[in-house]
Amino acid sequence: MKMNDLDVFRELLGGVSRRDFLKYFTIMASSMGLPLGVGAKMAEAVTNPKRPSVIWLSAQECTGCTESLLRATHPTLDHLILDLISLDYHETLSTPAGHQAEEARQKAIRDNKGKFVLVVDGSIPVKDGGVYCMIGGKPVLQIVKETAPQAGAIIAIGSCASWGGVPSADPNPTGATPVHEILKGTPVVNIPGCPASPYNFLSTVLYYLTFKKLPELDDQGRPKFAYGRLIHENCERRPHFDAGRFAVAFGDDNHRQGYCLYKLGCKGPETYNNCPSILYGDVGSGSWPVGTGHPCFGCSEKGVGFTAPLHALANIKYLTPNTFFTEAYPGKPETTSNIKALGAATAGVVIGAAGAAMLVGLGKKGNDTEEENKEG
Amino acid sequence: MSTRITIDPITRIEGHLRIECEVDGGHVTNAWSSGQMWRGIENIVKGRDAREVWLFTQRICGV
Ligand code: SF4
Repeated sequence: MKMNDLDVFRELLGGVSRRDFLKYFTIMASSMGLPLGVGAKMAEAVTNPKRPSVIWLSAQECTGCTESLLRATHPTLDHLILDLISLDYHETLSTPAGHQAEEARQKAIRDNKGKFVLVVDGSIPVKDGGVYCMIGGKPVLQIVKETAPQAGAIIAIGSCASWGGVPSADPNPTGATPVHEILKGTPVVNIPGCPASPYNFLSTVLYYLTFKKLPELDDQGRPKFAYGRLIHENCERRPHFDAGRFAVAFGDDNHRQGYCLYKLGCKGPETYNNCPSILYGDVGSGSWPVGTGHPCFGCSEKGVGFTAPLHALANIKYLTPNTFFTEAYPGKPETTSNIKALGAATAGVVIGAAGAAMLVGLGKKGNDTEEENKEG
Repeated sequence: MSTRITIDPITRIEGHLRIECEVDGGHVTNAWSSGQMWRGIENIVKGRDAREVWLFTQRICGV
Protein backbone atom coordinates (compact mmCIF):
# COMPACT_ATOMS: atom_id res chain seq x y z
CA MET A 1 0.00 0.00 0.00
CA LYS A 2 1.42 3.39 -1.03
CA MET A 3 2.32 6.03 1.51
CA ASN A 4 0.17 8.78 0.02
CA ASP A 5 -2.91 6.57 0.04
CA LEU A 6 -2.39 6.25 3.72
CA ASP A 7 -2.01 9.98 4.14
CA VAL A 8 -5.31 10.60 2.41
CA PHE A 9 -6.70 7.98 4.64
CA ARG A 10 -5.29 9.44 7.74
CA GLU A 11 -7.31 12.54 7.04
CA LEU A 12 -10.42 10.44 6.60
CA LEU A 13 -9.74 8.79 9.89
CA GLY A 14 -9.51 12.07 11.69
CA GLY A 15 -5.81 11.85 12.47
CA VAL A 16 -5.43 8.16 13.31
CA SER A 17 -1.78 7.30 12.81
CA ARG A 18 -0.63 4.97 10.04
CA ARG A 19 0.72 2.67 12.70
CA ASP A 20 -2.60 2.44 14.56
CA PHE A 21 -4.43 1.99 11.32
CA LEU A 22 -2.34 -0.94 10.16
CA LYS A 23 -2.32 -2.34 13.67
CA TYR A 24 -6.09 -2.36 13.67
CA PHE A 25 -6.32 -4.37 10.47
CA THR A 26 -3.57 -6.70 11.58
CA ILE A 27 -5.57 -7.47 14.71
CA MET A 28 -8.67 -8.03 12.59
CA ALA A 29 -6.75 -10.38 10.30
CA SER A 30 -5.26 -12.32 13.17
CA SER A 31 -8.63 -12.64 14.90
CA MET A 32 -9.73 -14.49 11.79
CA GLY A 33 -6.66 -16.70 11.87
CA LEU A 34 -5.26 -15.17 8.67
CA PRO A 35 -1.56 -14.58 7.99
CA LEU A 36 -0.20 -11.25 9.22
CA GLY A 37 0.34 -9.69 5.76
CA VAL A 38 -3.38 -9.86 5.12
CA GLY A 39 -3.91 -6.92 7.49
CA ALA A 40 -2.23 -4.58 4.99
CA LYS A 41 -4.32 -6.06 2.19
CA MET A 42 -7.48 -5.35 4.14
CA ALA A 43 -6.35 -1.80 4.81
CA GLU A 44 -5.86 -1.40 1.07
CA ALA A 45 -9.31 -2.79 0.30
CA VAL A 46 -11.02 -0.20 2.47
CA THR A 47 -8.89 2.71 1.23
CA ASN A 48 -10.47 2.27 -2.17
CA PRO A 49 -11.95 5.71 -2.94
CA LYS A 50 -15.36 4.19 -3.65
CA ARG A 51 -16.46 3.13 -0.23
CA PRO A 52 -18.33 -0.16 -0.22
CA SER A 53 -22.04 0.24 0.24
CA VAL A 54 -23.81 -1.37 3.17
CA ILE A 55 -27.59 -1.50 3.37
CA TRP A 56 -28.93 -2.44 6.77
CA LEU A 57 -32.51 -3.62 7.15
CA SER A 58 -34.14 -3.92 10.56
CA ALA A 59 -36.89 -6.41 11.19
CA GLN A 60 -38.03 -7.73 14.59
CA GLU A 61 -35.08 -6.45 16.56
CA CYS A 62 -34.31 -4.46 19.69
CA THR A 63 -31.42 -2.44 18.15
CA GLY A 64 -29.05 -4.16 20.59
CA CYS A 65 -26.85 -5.36 17.73
CA THR A 66 -26.59 -1.85 16.29
CA GLU A 67 -25.84 -0.51 19.76
CA SER A 68 -23.08 -3.00 20.39
CA LEU A 69 -21.56 -2.08 17.03
CA LEU A 70 -21.70 1.62 17.90
CA ARG A 71 -20.37 1.10 21.41
CA ALA A 72 -17.25 -0.71 20.24
CA THR A 73 -14.54 1.75 21.19
CA HIS A 74 -11.59 0.44 19.27
CA PRO A 75 -9.88 3.60 18.02
CA THR A 76 -10.79 3.22 14.39
CA LEU A 77 -14.09 1.44 14.68
CA ASP A 78 -16.47 4.36 14.51
CA HIS A 79 -14.46 5.63 11.58
CA LEU A 80 -14.73 2.26 9.94
CA ILE A 81 -18.51 2.48 10.04
CA LEU A 82 -18.83 6.15 9.26
CA ASP A 83 -15.91 6.82 6.93
CA LEU A 84 -14.78 3.57 5.37
CA ILE A 85 -18.00 1.76 4.70
CA SER A 86 -20.77 3.74 3.14
CA LEU A 87 -23.71 2.90 5.38
CA ASP A 88 -26.32 3.95 2.86
CA TYR A 89 -29.41 2.87 4.70
CA HIS A 90 -30.02 2.15 8.37
CA GLU A 91 -33.33 2.99 9.96
CA THR A 92 -31.89 3.94 13.34
CA LEU A 93 -28.96 5.93 11.98
CA SER A 94 -30.30 7.51 8.77
CA THR A 95 -30.90 11.24 8.68
CA PRO A 96 -33.83 11.22 6.23
CA ALA A 97 -37.17 9.85 7.46
CA GLY A 98 -40.38 8.68 5.84
CA HIS A 99 -40.47 8.59 2.05
CA GLN A 100 -37.01 10.20 1.86
CA ALA A 101 -35.57 7.26 3.77
CA GLU A 102 -37.29 4.88 1.40
CA GLU A 103 -35.90 6.79 -1.59
CA ALA A 104 -32.41 6.64 -0.09
CA ARG A 105 -32.74 2.87 0.19
CA GLN A 106 -33.99 2.48 -3.37
CA LYS A 107 -31.18 4.67 -4.68
CA ALA A 108 -28.50 2.79 -2.77
CA ILE A 109 -29.82 -0.49 -4.16
CA ARG A 110 -29.90 0.86 -7.74
CA ASP A 111 -26.43 2.42 -7.56
CA ASN A 112 -24.72 -0.58 -6.02
CA LYS A 113 -26.62 -3.41 -7.60
CA GLY A 114 -24.88 -6.74 -7.14
CA LYS A 115 -22.14 -5.19 -5.01
CA PHE A 116 -23.59 -3.97 -1.75
CA VAL A 117 -23.52 -5.90 1.50
CA LEU A 118 -27.03 -6.46 2.82
CA VAL A 119 -27.20 -6.70 6.59
CA VAL A 120 -30.38 -7.79 8.31
CA ASP A 121 -30.96 -7.63 12.05
CA GLY A 122 -34.06 -9.07 13.63
CA SER A 123 -36.25 -12.00 12.68
CA ILE A 124 -38.85 -11.84 9.94
CA PRO A 125 -42.46 -12.43 11.02
CA VAL A 126 -44.33 -14.52 8.46
CA LYS A 127 -47.62 -15.05 10.30
CA ASP A 128 -50.71 -13.21 9.00
CA GLY A 129 -48.95 -12.04 5.83
CA GLY A 130 -46.09 -10.42 7.75
CA VAL A 131 -48.14 -7.62 9.37
CA TYR A 132 -46.12 -7.82 12.58
CA CYS A 133 -43.29 -5.79 11.13
CA MET A 134 -44.00 -3.09 8.57
CA ILE A 135 -41.76 -0.37 7.12
CA GLY A 136 -43.36 2.38 5.06
CA GLY A 137 -46.56 0.34 4.88
CA LYS A 138 -44.78 -2.74 3.46
CA PRO A 139 -44.14 -5.99 5.33
CA VAL A 140 -40.42 -6.36 6.05
CA LEU A 141 -40.81 -9.90 4.67
CA GLN A 142 -41.47 -8.42 1.24
CA ILE A 143 -38.69 -5.82 1.55
CA VAL A 144 -36.09 -8.48 2.42
CA LYS A 145 -37.22 -10.70 -0.43
CA GLU A 146 -37.02 -7.80 -2.90
CA THR A 147 -33.64 -6.53 -1.70
CA ALA A 148 -31.74 -9.82 -1.31
CA PRO A 149 -31.44 -10.79 -5.01
CA GLN A 150 -29.67 -7.46 -5.70
CA ALA A 151 -27.08 -7.84 -2.93
CA GLY A 152 -23.48 -9.01 -3.34
CA ALA A 153 -23.44 -10.65 0.09
CA ILE A 154 -26.01 -11.11 2.83
CA ILE A 155 -25.21 -11.07 6.51
CA ALA A 156 -27.74 -11.89 9.24
CA ILE A 157 -26.54 -10.19 12.42
CA GLY A 158 -27.72 -11.31 15.86
CA SER A 159 -29.53 -14.41 17.04
CA CYS A 160 -32.96 -13.16 15.86
CA ALA A 161 -31.84 -12.88 12.24
CA SER A 162 -29.63 -15.98 12.45
CA TRP A 163 -32.03 -18.51 13.95
CA GLY A 164 -35.06 -16.66 15.36
CA GLY A 165 -33.81 -15.54 18.78
CA VAL A 166 -36.16 -13.96 21.32
CA PRO A 167 -39.20 -13.40 19.04
CA SER A 168 -39.18 -17.06 18.00
CA ALA A 169 -39.28 -18.30 21.61
CA ASP A 170 -42.20 -20.53 22.42
CA PRO A 171 -45.03 -19.96 21.43
CA ASN A 172 -43.52 -17.79 18.64
CA PRO A 173 -46.55 -15.48 18.49
CA THR A 174 -45.67 -13.81 15.18
CA GLY A 175 -44.11 -16.68 13.21
CA ALA A 176 -40.65 -15.12 13.65
CA THR A 177 -38.35 -16.73 11.05
CA PRO A 178 -34.59 -16.44 10.44
CA VAL A 179 -33.35 -14.71 7.30
CA HIS A 180 -31.79 -17.83 5.72
CA GLU A 181 -35.16 -19.58 5.84
CA ILE A 182 -36.83 -16.68 4.07
CA LEU A 183 -34.11 -16.66 1.42
CA LYS A 184 -33.77 -20.42 0.93
CA GLY A 185 -31.08 -21.23 -1.62
CA THR A 186 -29.20 -17.92 -1.20
CA PRO A 187 -26.02 -18.00 0.91
CA VAL A 188 -26.48 -16.06 4.14
CA VAL A 189 -23.75 -15.55 6.72
CA ASN A 190 -25.07 -15.89 10.26
CA ILE A 191 -23.43 -13.92 13.07
CA PRO A 192 -25.51 -15.05 16.04
CA GLY A 193 -25.26 -13.56 19.51
CA CYS A 194 -27.56 -11.44 21.63
CA PRO A 195 -26.09 -9.01 20.86
CA ALA A 196 -23.68 -10.29 18.23
CA SER A 197 -20.02 -9.50 18.80
CA PRO A 198 -19.27 -6.42 16.67
CA TYR A 199 -15.84 -7.85 15.85
CA ASN A 200 -17.26 -11.04 14.43
CA PHE A 201 -19.43 -8.88 12.19
CA LEU A 202 -16.75 -6.41 11.15
CA SER A 203 -14.22 -9.19 10.52
CA THR A 204 -16.70 -10.83 8.16
CA VAL A 205 -17.35 -7.57 6.31
CA LEU A 206 -13.62 -6.89 5.99
CA TYR A 207 -12.99 -10.41 4.75
CA TYR A 208 -15.63 -9.98 2.06
CA LEU A 209 -14.27 -6.59 1.01
CA THR A 210 -10.73 -7.90 0.81
CA PHE A 211 -11.23 -11.27 -0.86
CA LYS A 212 -14.59 -10.64 -2.60
CA LYS A 213 -15.93 -13.85 -1.18
CA LEU A 214 -17.36 -15.04 2.12
CA PRO A 215 -15.21 -16.54 4.88
CA GLU A 216 -15.42 -20.27 5.50
CA LEU A 217 -18.72 -21.13 7.19
CA ASP A 218 -19.88 -24.03 9.34
CA ASP A 219 -23.04 -26.06 8.73
CA GLN A 220 -25.12 -23.31 10.35
CA GLY A 221 -23.70 -20.57 8.14
CA ARG A 222 -21.48 -19.16 10.89
CA PRO A 223 -17.90 -18.03 10.12
CA LYS A 224 -15.59 -20.73 11.43
CA PHE A 225 -13.03 -18.21 12.64
CA ALA A 226 -15.48 -17.03 15.29
CA TYR A 227 -17.78 -19.95 15.98
CA GLY A 228 -15.40 -22.86 15.53
CA ARG A 229 -15.04 -23.58 19.23
CA LEU A 230 -17.17 -23.99 22.31
CA ILE A 231 -17.10 -21.24 24.93
CA HIS A 232 -16.20 -23.96 27.42
CA GLU A 233 -12.99 -24.66 25.46
CA ASN A 234 -11.57 -21.21 26.11
CA CYS A 235 -13.25 -20.18 29.34
CA GLU A 236 -10.96 -18.77 32.02
CA ARG A 237 -12.90 -20.81 34.62
CA ARG A 238 -12.23 -24.07 32.83
CA PRO A 239 -9.46 -25.20 35.23
CA HIS A 240 -12.08 -25.07 38.01
CA PHE A 241 -14.43 -27.19 35.93
CA ASP A 242 -11.74 -29.78 35.33
CA ALA A 243 -10.84 -29.82 39.01
CA GLY A 244 -14.49 -30.13 40.05
CA ARG A 245 -14.72 -26.76 41.80
CA PHE A 246 -18.18 -25.28 41.26
CA ALA A 247 -20.26 -22.38 42.54
CA VAL A 248 -23.56 -23.85 43.74
CA ALA A 249 -25.46 -20.68 44.65
CA PHE A 250 -25.08 -17.07 43.54
CA GLY A 251 -22.95 -15.28 46.10
CA ASP A 252 -21.68 -18.40 47.91
CA ASP A 253 -18.01 -18.71 48.80
CA ASN A 254 -17.22 -20.71 45.68
CA HIS A 255 -18.92 -18.10 43.52
CA ARG A 256 -16.85 -15.38 45.14
CA GLN A 257 -13.73 -17.43 44.47
CA GLY A 258 -14.49 -17.36 40.77
CA TYR A 259 -15.23 -21.09 40.47
CA CYS A 260 -16.91 -22.71 37.46
CA LEU A 261 -20.57 -21.79 36.91
CA TYR A 262 -21.65 -25.09 35.38
CA LYS A 263 -23.94 -26.01 38.27
CA LEU A 264 -25.69 -22.63 38.04
CA GLY A 265 -26.71 -23.55 34.49
CA CYS A 266 -23.75 -22.35 32.42
CA LYS A 267 -24.34 -23.24 28.75
CA GLY A 268 -20.70 -22.68 27.76
CA PRO A 269 -20.26 -26.44 27.20
CA GLU A 270 -22.81 -26.39 24.34
CA THR A 271 -22.43 -22.91 22.87
CA TYR A 272 -20.09 -22.10 20.00
CA ASN A 273 -18.70 -18.57 20.20
CA ASN A 274 -15.50 -16.67 20.90
CA CYS A 275 -16.75 -14.48 23.80
CA PRO A 276 -14.00 -15.56 26.25
CA SER A 277 -11.29 -14.35 23.87
CA ILE A 278 -12.89 -11.38 22.06
CA LEU A 279 -14.85 -10.08 25.09
CA TYR A 280 -17.39 -7.29 24.95
CA GLY A 281 -17.27 -3.53 25.05
CA ASP A 282 -13.47 -3.14 24.96
CA VAL A 283 -13.21 -2.48 28.67
CA GLY A 284 -10.60 -5.05 29.56
CA SER A 285 -10.45 -8.53 30.94
CA GLY A 286 -13.52 -10.25 32.35
CA SER A 287 -15.99 -8.23 30.30
CA TRP A 288 -18.19 -11.11 29.20
CA PRO A 289 -21.01 -12.89 31.06
CA VAL A 290 -18.97 -15.65 32.73
CA GLY A 291 -16.26 -13.11 33.50
CA THR A 292 -18.78 -11.08 35.52
CA GLY A 293 -19.98 -14.15 37.41
CA HIS A 294 -23.13 -15.03 35.48
CA PRO A 295 -23.44 -18.34 33.69
CA CYS A 296 -23.45 -18.22 29.90
CA PHE A 297 -27.05 -18.82 28.80
CA GLY A 298 -26.18 -19.71 25.23
CA CYS A 299 -27.61 -16.57 23.62
CA SER A 300 -25.98 -17.36 20.28
CA GLU A 301 -26.79 -21.06 20.07
CA LYS A 302 -29.91 -22.31 18.38
CA GLY A 303 -31.85 -24.65 20.65
CA VAL A 304 -30.05 -23.35 23.75
CA GLY A 305 -30.52 -19.58 24.17
CA PHE A 306 -34.14 -18.59 24.99
CA THR A 307 -35.02 -22.27 24.61
CA ALA A 308 -33.32 -24.37 27.30
CA PRO A 309 -34.31 -23.45 30.88
CA LEU A 310 -31.91 -20.84 32.27
CA HIS A 311 -30.66 -22.80 35.29
CA ALA A 312 -30.82 -26.30 33.82
CA LEU A 313 -27.50 -28.12 33.41
CA ALA A 314 -25.92 -27.94 29.97
CA ASN A 315 -25.34 -30.97 27.76
CA ILE A 316 -21.59 -31.38 27.80
CA LYS A 317 -20.38 -32.02 24.26
CA TYR A 318 -16.90 -33.27 24.97
CA LEU A 319 -15.75 -34.72 28.25
CA THR A 320 -12.19 -34.23 29.34
CA PRO A 321 -10.71 -37.44 30.63
CA ASN A 322 -9.97 -37.13 34.31
CA THR A 323 -6.99 -38.52 36.12
CA PHE A 324 -8.94 -41.50 37.45
CA PHE A 325 -9.31 -43.18 34.07
CA THR A 326 -7.44 -46.46 33.90
CA GLU A 327 -4.47 -46.74 31.58
CA ALA A 328 -4.27 -48.90 28.50
CA TYR A 329 -0.84 -50.24 29.51
CA PRO A 330 -0.64 -50.11 33.29
CA GLY A 331 2.86 -49.95 34.59
CA LYS A 332 4.41 -48.99 31.25
CA PRO A 333 7.86 -47.69 32.20
CA GLU A 334 7.84 -44.45 30.12
CA THR A 335 4.88 -42.89 31.95
CA THR A 336 5.70 -42.45 35.56
CA SER A 337 2.86 -41.49 37.90
CA ASN A 338 4.73 -38.28 38.71
CA ILE A 339 4.52 -37.08 35.13
CA LYS A 340 0.83 -37.96 34.99
CA ALA A 341 0.07 -35.96 38.12
CA LEU A 342 2.01 -33.02 36.71
CA GLY A 343 0.10 -33.37 33.42
CA ALA A 344 -3.24 -33.14 35.20
CA ALA A 345 -2.19 -30.04 37.12
CA THR A 346 -0.85 -28.23 34.07
CA ALA A 347 -3.70 -29.20 31.74
CA GLY A 348 -5.90 -26.54 33.29
CA VAL A 349 -3.26 -23.87 32.95
CA VAL A 350 -2.62 -24.78 29.35
CA ILE A 351 -6.32 -24.57 28.52
CA GLY A 352 -6.46 -21.18 30.25
CA ALA A 353 -3.53 -19.97 28.20
CA ALA A 354 -5.17 -21.26 25.04
CA GLY A 355 -7.94 -18.76 25.72
CA ALA A 356 -5.48 -15.90 25.77
CA ALA A 357 -3.87 -17.16 22.59
CA MET A 358 -7.24 -17.31 20.83
CA LEU A 359 -6.94 -13.85 19.39
CA VAL A 360 -3.97 -15.04 17.38
CA GLY A 361 -5.14 -18.39 16.24
CA LEU A 362 -8.94 -18.71 16.29
CA GLY A 363 -9.10 -22.32 15.30
CA LYS A 364 -8.45 -21.95 11.59
CA LYS A 365 -6.49 -25.02 10.67
CA GLY A 366 -4.91 -25.74 7.33
CA ASN A 367 -7.68 -24.23 5.24
CA ASP A 368 -6.12 -20.95 4.21
CA THR A 369 -6.59 -20.46 0.54
CA GLU A 370 -3.82 -19.36 -1.74
CA GLU A 371 -5.28 -15.87 -1.92
CA GLU A 372 -5.29 -15.43 1.82
CA ASN A 373 -1.69 -16.49 2.07
CA LYS A 374 -0.41 -13.98 -0.45
CA GLU A 375 1.40 -11.15 1.18
CA GLY A 376 -0.55 -7.88 1.06
CA MET B 1 -59.55 21.44 3.74
CA SER B 2 -57.19 19.32 5.84
CA THR B 3 -54.34 17.27 4.50
CA ARG B 4 -53.02 14.07 5.99
CA ILE B 5 -49.27 13.51 6.26
CA THR B 6 -47.71 10.12 6.93
CA ILE B 7 -44.11 9.71 8.04
CA ASP B 8 -43.01 6.07 8.05
CA PRO B 9 -40.38 5.03 9.03
CA ILE B 10 -39.37 7.55 11.68
CA THR B 11 -35.57 7.21 11.72
CA ARG B 12 -33.02 7.80 14.48
CA ILE B 13 -35.17 6.06 17.05
CA GLU B 14 -35.19 2.45 18.17
CA GLY B 15 -37.98 0.42 16.63
CA HIS B 16 -40.39 0.96 13.79
CA LEU B 17 -42.57 4.02 14.28
CA ARG B 18 -45.19 5.56 12.02
CA ILE B 19 -46.66 9.01 12.53
CA GLU B 20 -49.75 10.28 10.75
CA CYS B 21 -51.08 13.77 11.25
CA GLU B 22 -53.85 15.93 9.91
CA VAL B 23 -52.92 19.48 9.05
CA ASP B 24 -55.52 22.16 8.57
CA GLY B 25 -54.51 25.71 7.65
CA GLY B 26 -51.01 25.20 8.99
CA HIS B 27 -52.21 23.69 12.27
CA VAL B 28 -52.03 20.06 13.28
CA THR B 29 -55.58 19.13 14.12
CA ASN B 30 -55.14 15.46 14.84
CA ALA B 31 -52.23 13.00 15.06
CA TRP B 32 -51.64 9.27 15.46
CA SER B 33 -48.53 7.35 16.26
CA SER B 34 -48.20 3.61 15.96
CA GLY B 35 -45.50 1.04 16.57
CA GLN B 36 -45.13 -1.04 13.40
CA MET B 37 -43.46 -4.04 14.96
CA TRP B 38 -44.76 -6.57 17.47
CA ARG B 39 -43.02 -9.63 18.85
CA GLY B 40 -45.55 -10.67 21.48
CA ILE B 41 -43.08 -10.75 24.38
CA GLU B 42 -46.12 -10.53 26.71
CA ASN B 43 -47.25 -13.89 25.35
CA ILE B 44 -43.76 -15.37 25.31
CA VAL B 45 -43.21 -14.81 29.06
CA LYS B 46 -46.63 -16.17 30.07
CA GLY B 47 -46.25 -19.30 32.20
CA ARG B 48 -42.43 -19.17 32.30
CA ASP B 49 -40.20 -19.70 35.32
CA ALA B 50 -40.07 -16.25 36.95
CA ARG B 51 -36.27 -16.50 37.22
CA GLU B 52 -35.78 -16.40 33.48
CA VAL B 53 -38.35 -13.78 32.47
CA TRP B 54 -35.69 -11.05 32.63
CA LEU B 55 -33.94 -12.71 29.71
CA PHE B 56 -36.87 -11.80 27.50
CA THR B 57 -38.08 -8.50 28.97
CA GLN B 58 -34.52 -7.15 29.01
CA ARG B 59 -34.52 -7.54 25.24
CA ILE B 60 -37.62 -5.43 24.59
CA CYS B 61 -35.20 -2.62 23.76
CA GLY B 62 -31.43 -2.84 23.36
CA VAL B 63 -30.68 0.89 23.43
S1 SF4 C 1 -19.17 -24.54 32.47
FE1 SF4 C 1 -19.20 -22.35 31.96
S2 SF4 C 1 -18.05 -21.32 33.64
FE2 SF4 C 1 -17.56 -23.53 33.71
S3 SF4 C 1 -15.71 -23.69 32.48
FE3 SF4 C 1 -17.43 -24.15 31.10
S4 SF4 C 1 -17.91 -22.18 30.14
FE4 SF4 C 1 -16.64 -21.73 31.93
